[in-house]
Amino acid sequence: MAKDMTLLWGPGSPPCWRVMIALEEKGLQGYNSKQLSFEKGEHKGKDVLAINPRGQLPAFKHGNITLNESYGACIYLEEQFKGQGNKLTPENKAELALMYQRMFEGQSLFYDRFVPEGERHDSAKQRFAGQLKDEIKLWEGYMQATGPYLAGKSFSLADVIVFPVIAFLFRFGLNEEHFPKLAAYHNTVKDRPSVKNTWPPNWKDTPGMDALKNL
Amino acid sequence: LTMAQSMYLLWGSGSPPCWRLMITLEEKKLQGYQQKLLSFEKMEHKSKEVLEINPRGQLPTFKHGENIINESVGACLYLENQFKSQGNKLIPDSPAEQALMYQRMMEGLSFLEKMESFAFYDFFIPEGERLDSALKRNKDNLVTELKLWESYLENVAADRYLAGGFSLADVVVFPNVAFAFAYGLSPERYPKLAKYYNLLKDRPSIKATWPPKWFLIELKSECLKDI
Repeated sequence: MAKDMTLLWGPGSPPCWRVMIALEEKGLQGYNSKQLSFEKGEHKGKDVLAINPRGQLPAFKHGNITLNESYGACIYLEEQFKGQGNKLTPENKAELALMYQRMFEGQSLFYDRFVPEGERHDSAKQRFAGQLKDEIKLWEGYMQATGPYLAGKSFSLADVIVFPVIAFLFRFGLNEEHFPKLAAYHNTVKDRPSVKNTWPPNWKDTPGMDALKNL
Repeated sequence: LTMAQSMYLLWGSGSPPCWRLMITLEEKKLQGYQQKLLSFEKMEHKSKEVLEINPRGQLPTFKHGENIINESVGACLYLENQFKSQGNKLIPDSPAEQALMYQRMMEGLSFLEKMESFAFYDFFIPEGERLDSALKRNKDNLVTELKLWESYLENVAADRYLAGGFSLADVVVFPNVAFAFAYGLSPERYPKLAKYYNLLKDRPSIKATWPPKWFLIELKSECLKDI
């Protein structure tokens, strides 16, 4: 099964990391894994474009099936491999609803706020920094209200999708003292086997950045 | 209370995310839900009533009993999951169609974002920060995106939509396509999108929930005319 799967990915990219965590959680280790470099522009190379006309990573194939959207790939893997690995969708209806809510809120945490752009004015930069702070405070509040995972008692697709973004924020210097509940969540989940086994290779031996330390 | 009567939707007219949820409720035979139309123009999406359920002050805002799911795609997936055996099936069974459905559904979010970045550039970006180069880039990105969707719909026909039969991919993407034509997109330049639009515009769930009014249409009815 895993041998029929191919994942092209870049290190440190939350969308790529999500799919890697999902594959581990569903016991699908052994897939064909190809690490590419964003810095070298390999995400726009022929290999990727053959699978993903958008020239983006992750690019994921299962036999003849292509699924490059990380949310789509994670949901598909959970659906198709229901009977193996860890269950990523809670039985409890309230937790399931919360899982869907947090999963899709995860888009606000990453795409709208943190992706840098060369043309931002100072006023825009300030506004975005303010918005990012408010957004992270919202998530801190969510972790105060529930836990230990995003949808409650069990690790779910919400964590598969959102944890990589939280890890990304701490890598960029988010202050654990300002956001203690998120820090506790980060520290709990980072030791989960699926997460540990797929930790970005370029993060292991290098220090992070401190762009977010004052937030 | 019927299942639907324990659901409460706060929505705004012309919002594709709201429309997705309303189409899904119809498809799953959940008509009869409690609902309230709010005005974006009057900033009612930031009212106390919304903020009490949705701290983000956004629409749609949706409750099923005590369960709150304001994220439209999350809510659609939840409804399909919880009401699998009633109404129309919105997630295909075959792995290949299912994967394609998830792929196109999620790409649909990118599609809307690119459309809004161009069509509503002056609404989202304060005057002091607008740049001709950024507007041009947004326009080019939208053209690239539209061409991609034309290619996805190369063989569009009845029951041959984005992932075979009508699915959550169409629930997400049809509102984008309706939006595009409402704001002036040329059917001649985008014939496959036009064909898709014409095939689905009279689908009962879509017809029943057609937006009463598009946002800022008085100012923007031709903003996509030259794309």
